Amino acid sequence: MDSETDGDRLVSHRYVYGVVEASDDIEFETDAVAEADQVYTITHRRYGAVVSDIDTTEPEETDEDAQRHDDVLREIMEYDGGQTIVPMQFGMAFEGDRELKNVLRNAQPAFRRALRDIEGKIELGLKLVREEDADVDREAIEDAVADELEPVAAQSVPNDLFSDRLVFNRSYLVEKEDQEEFDDAVAALEDEYGDELMFQYTGPFAPYSFVDVKIGAQG
Amino acid sequence: MFILDDLLFRPFVGIIDALHSIALDELYDLNELEDELKENQLLYELGERSEEEYRRRKDELEEEIEIAREVHEQFSSGRVEVKR
Repeated sequence: MDSETDGDRLVSHRYVYGVVEASDDIEFETDAVAEADQVYTITHRRYGAVVSDIDTTEPEETDEDAQRHDDVLREIMEYDGGQTIVPMQFGMAFEGDRELKNVLRNAQPAFRRALRDIEGKIELGLKLVREEDADVDREAIEDAVADELEPVAAQSVPNDLFSDRLVFNRSYLVEKEDQEEFDDAVAALEDEYGDELMFQYTGPFAPYSFVDVKIGAQG
Repeated sequence: MFILDDLLFRPFVGIIDALHSIALDELYDLNELEDELKENQLLYELGERSEEEYRRRKDELEEEIEIAREVHEQFSSGRVEVKR
């Protein structure tokens, strides 16, 4: 195992949810990943990593913990009137504070850029799935969705069409204050295409799809 | 004897290995299995697939994925040699 003992106390590692400005000192109790109950911030100069304690550096991605990871990020985004966080994908755990601070130092420019790009924004997802026997015009649907949603979004990225039932799969970066307008635009599409397509409209999430910060756990 | 062994066995083993690996690739296509897992989740979330069916399929696919990973690992670690 990765854990070491310090006397009788288990020395724990740090599981990272994301990176914030060091001035946003975030700390709260919640159901965190790997049954931790405390989320807090470890800072180094300008940036801080929001973490909880964990006893392994290779957490297993169970459905429950993947959900907790998302939920904790959402809580962070709503913390104290709203925070901007550069979200990490599930599974980023560090041996100790020293390794984590090294990363915070080395990746400063990347964090600065990412924070600037996502400041005040949320991620929303839209999947359109054709009804089992429906024959749909994919191109026409793509155009209609783009006409309706792109004007409201700051950015968007296509996602994998992992099933032949999946006609459309895209993530949108939207200003928090524009979410209602975006909701209405999705509802308008649903009115138009609800007979042939099933809509899965998800979020808000931390903007995973719009940050390109990959950090090595041993950094 | 070494030369004879080589001549006699290498081409033969080569063909068997090639056939074997093609079959394995089809049987253990990780991407396809992972896509099916995602589709299963999606259709369940949309209410088209019952919880019972979703769980049964999920267990089945996760087991197949685990086996596929093991097979791929054995290949990449060189424990099973493939000639194509």
